[in-house]
Amino acid sequence: MSGPTVTSVPPGIAVAPDLPDLLPAVNLGRGIIGFLRRHPTIAVGGTLLILMLLMAVLAPYLGTVDPTALATARRTRPPSAEHWFGTDMLGRDLYSRVIYGARVSLLVGFSVAAFASVIGLAIGLFAGFVRWADAILMRVMDGLMSIPPILLAVALMALTRGSVGNVIVAITIAEIPRVSRLVRSVVLSLREQPYVDAAVAAGTRTPMIILRHILPNTLAPMTVQATYICASAMIVEAILSFIGAGTPPITPSWGNIMAEGRALWQVKPFIVFFPAVFLSVTVLSVNLLGDGWRDALDPRMAKGL
Amino acid sequence: MDRRTLLKAIAGAGTLAATGKLSAPALAQGAAARTLRFVPQANLANFDPIWGTQYVVRNASAMVWDTLYGVDEKLEPQRQMVEAEEVSSDGLTWTFRLRPGLKFHDGEPVLARDVVASLDRWTARDQMGLLIKGIQQDLTAVDDRTVKWVLKKPFPKMLLALGKISTPIAFIMPERIAKTDPFKQISEYVGSGPMRFVKNEWVPGAKAAFEKFPDYVPRTEPGSWLAGGKRMLAERIEWVVMPDPATAAAALQNGEIDWWENPISDLVPLLRKNRNVAVDIADPLGNIGSFRMNHLYPPFNDVRARRAVLMAMSQEDYMRAIVGDDDKLWKPLPGFFTPGTPLYTEEGGEILKGPRNLDAAKKLLAQSSYAGQPVTCLVAQDQPITKAQGDVTADLLKRLGMNVDFAAIDWGTVGARRAVKTPPGQGGWQMFHTWHSGADCINPAVAIGVRASGEKAWFGWPEAPEVEAEVTAWYEAKSLDEEKAAIRRLNKAALDNVVYAPTGFFLSYQAWRKNVSGVVKGPLPFFWGVAKTA
Amino acid sequence: MFAYVVRRVIATVPVMAVVALFVFSLLYIAPGDPAAVIAGDQATPADVERIRQSLGLDRPFLIRFGEWVWQILHGDLGTSIFTNLPVTTMMAQRFEPTLSLMVVTMCFAVAVAVPIGVLAAWKAGTWIDRAIMAFAIFGFSVPVFVIAYLLAFVFALKLEWLPVQGYTSLSEGVWPWFENLILPAIALGCIYIALIARVTRAAMLEVLQQDYIRTARAKGIGQQGILFVHALKNASVPIVTVIGIGVALLIGGAVVTESVFAIPGLGRLTVDAILRRDYPLIQGIVLLFSFIYVLVNLLVDLSYTLLDPRIRY
Repeated sequence: MSGPTVTSVPPGIAVAPDLPDLLPAVNLGRGIIGFLRRHPTIAVGGTLLILMLLMAVLAPYLGTVDPTALATARRTRPPSAEHWFGTDMLGRDLYSRVIYGARVSLLVGFSVAAFASVIGLAIGLFAGFVRWADAILMRVMDGLMSIPPILLAVALMALTRGSVGNVIVAITIAEIPRVSRLVRSVVLSLREQPYVDAAVAAGTRTPMIILRHILPNTLAPMTVQATYICASAMIVEAILSFIGAGTPPITPSWGNIMAEGRALWQVKPFIVFFPAVFLSVTVLSVNLLGDGWRDALDPRMAKGL
Repeated sequence: MDRRTLLKAIAGAGTLAATGKLSAPALAQGAAARTLRFVPQANLANFDPIWGTQYVVRNASAMVWDTLYGVDEKLEPQRQMVEAEEVSSDGLTWTFRLRPGLKFHDGEPVLARDVVASLDRWTARDQMGLLIKGIQQDLTAVDDRTVKWVLKKPFPKMLLALGKISTPIAFIMPERIAKTDPFKQISEYVGSGPMRFVKNEWVPGAKAAFEKFPDYVPRTEPGSWLAGGKRMLAERIEWVVMPDPATAAAALQNGEIDWWENPISDLVPLLRKNRNVAVDIADPLGNIGSFRMNHLYPPFNDVRARRAVLMAMSQEDYMRAIVGDDDKLWKPLPGFFTPGTPLYTEEGGEILKGPRNLDAAKKLLAQSSYAGQPVTCLVAQDQPITKAQGDVTADLLKRLGMNVDFAAIDWGTVGARRAVKTPPGQGGWQMFHTWHSGADCINPAVAIGVRASGEKAWFGWPEAPEVEAEVTAWYEAKSLDEEKAAIRRLNKAALDNVVYAPTGFFLSYQAWRKNVSGVVKGPLPFFWGVAKTA
Repeated sequence: MFAYVVRRVIATVPVMAVVALFVFSLLYIAPGDPAAVIAGDQATPADVERIRQSLGLDRPFLIRFGEWVWQILHGDLGTSIFTNLPVTTMMAQRFEPTLSLMVVTMCFAVAVAVPIGVLAAWKAGTWIDRAIMAFAIFGFSVPVFVIAYLLAFVFALKLEWLPVQGYTSLSEGVWPWFENLILPAIALGCIYIALIARVTRAAMLEVLQQDYIRTARAKGIGQQGILFVHALKNASVPIVTVIGIGVALLIGGAVVTESVFAIPGLGRLTVDAILRRDYPLIQGIVLLFSFIYVLVNLLVDLSYTLLDPRIRY
């Protein structure tokens, strides 16, 4: 993917050398199918994830009823023809709650990954380019990183109230430092590269430098890390609900369904079982996707999973 | 010998060979056999029963401190530390004479001045105590064993006040400790009761240990709740805090703990199947669930809106949400006083009885001032009772066509927010959920929730002069019949006004291993008379 | 080198200061009043206010913050609002269980993960590699409490090989202490096995490509020798790094495990303290955690000099 060659140049003018390809070539080979065949983890992970997304989006059409409708006379019934996954402690249909719960868990995962990546990118870039801000920002990020994420999230939840929005904010804040460190390290290492110096010497303004040279290089590790953040956020949401600081039960999420059923797992294991399976499969698929994507970007790691 | 013990013995032998140190299992077997391990309803976070009024603090304190009087199973106050009392004919002077031989855990005798200081501290924090303090002329120690209390007006319920179960209980502490400001915590725990608190083994939130005080002299009568002889048969009692009910159930089945204060009812069938575990009702006085509406602001400042909610609500839904499928554990409650107690009445409770009429309720709501604004409901997520009730309420209000603003917070935040009188939408609230123990709802003196004195009432600030008039009538009643009549009128007035909404009466179980004997039903776990055999 | 250590130690001060300020501000603006909880249901607003005053909660932010910092500099972390015990005492009581859990978990995770990571790298591309990585990813994907419940059910309740709950101090015997930690450590360790195994595999693969490995092979050193002597030493830097990161995550995971297995550790203490708004206790514990994290990172960085002689400070 090289640029257009200059055929004729007036004498005395030096031509800036072509910039080398930094974004590693993702060999698409024989199209998408070939790509997927050579990276089965992306295929498996991606497929599972798409299935979960479809399930979340199409929830009302999958044979579900109102997930918040109580029927206390029919509480904790085991799976049956009428209630495919059984009912919970208030008689609500577990199948519906699990299907709708996908929405919350996926929303939390993707939102946290997106927001943490964007904000972390901004902070990392700023810290990388603006020297005086670097020290301050990195100390703040270190400080935030040294507070265990779960405790930070519990404290932030206690600050306001339990809701999906607050869960997202709490987990995002805990994940930003890692992204910002990653971006900053890429920026710092790239800033020393000769071609960046050349670009600066040629008068390219900083925003263009960022856009043309820095961003493409951060994209690869950032996207990989974003998948891990997504997976981790879904698990943290489950743990927050487990502790009692997560989404309130009127909005079902896999985490809070499990949290409500935790006391009964010895007698009514189905309440914890189904959301656990769905959560594990989804997190697994995101992890596989992340691993496969990382392997695809870095051919040396491409052997095996 | 079970598998665990066999493995432990093998491991113990191995450790002995490896380290030359006898590993704990062999020793622990003996000590464990004499220690009663109890799982309380909540974490024992502090240990000052006058300063901190949580039930769990009261329950632990009942072992460590003694009282002048104590109520028995029939809720009648009986003498405990007192040998004899005398009331003057005008009802203004009470004279109490202490039993001989009472000692504190540091060996000092219990003297009248200790009683005076303890009562002084108690009356600063207790409802009935504050009433007494308000009419108090003089509280003195006449000699080492005699206390004299002179009042300006008669207070016939004095013995009930001194012996009641609701917090704070009038515990007797050494004078120097009782002189601590009632709004500050004590830091020494020298008791007057049958068990000594082992402070250096206390890990707040995890473990508390109590050891038998050998110099305690129990009364000769048989023990009955807080009355009678408190004969301790266990040498040592350990309170083990378990945050996870499933773990507690497993531990009880395994023999790692001996007595569990409140197993959740869904786990009870599992426990019953285990041939080493016994299960029975814990407290016959049970609990009363409730939610309170804010009488200061719309929509619930209009009695029609409040009654509409009562018309639509199903106490069965609330109760099943709390206790599960077991029908023996709940009763509908068309009133405010505890079923099975002398003052129980259903007068005025028709609105809560019978099939629910959602349409009529919606019509009534439409007549009130409800204009579609969000209704802020405070629901504590870390208390199972309020969490369950909150879910049912959200469903109820939605079916009524109201717009619910569900605030999923924790109990501490509920405590802070419910005290706030600003309008909803500016940090205020319109509804919060709570519950009261049955022992706290036996009469208007202890049932703070039913009072309707406006500004001075409990959160929600209901104002209903007809209710307050009946409270006064009850205080002045001279016979049980007069009391009952006053309470019937009170119940009706309070339901008409909807001072608060009772969601039902519910019981809970307690579970213990069969090698533990003497466990009785009561409003708190009573440790006297309880023995553990190997 | 010594200068480096000193510089690093000094550099921790601003980090801790940031943490302290952040936590304090967070708690200051959080709603929820410990005084209301303490005062109980029957208290009047006047009572609650009196308790707030006696706890010093009604004073302005800067005064309270200043006073707290002053106390810390004198080694006093304050007194818990609820228990009236010094914060240091309360933390000391709960420190041993959490530390024990973390150490046992880490040892277990490293002992399992490094060998399987190496094995996966050695057999890269084969079904063994895929199987190991699949297992690793699985450990990463299932929530901790689900694993904990399963383990407790099978090994404690049904087979009765191990206790269901509780913690026994090391002073009461090595085996009872260990016995109580086996199931929690396995439950908590699954995530770390996954993480460490993946990093080990990746690092080993990277190293195995290097020229000096080819040289070693050419010199005739057998497979075993290559892997464990040369490669592992060179791959150890990223492995140790991830162990350091893992410690911070471990504290969070410990909260759940301590809850399920009724271990009286710091994780549970913190959550309880946050929910009750026991401010001095929360502040003390968060400072402690930050300090531990910073210390571990320092140790990790220092260990680089031992593991990789090219790294010099």
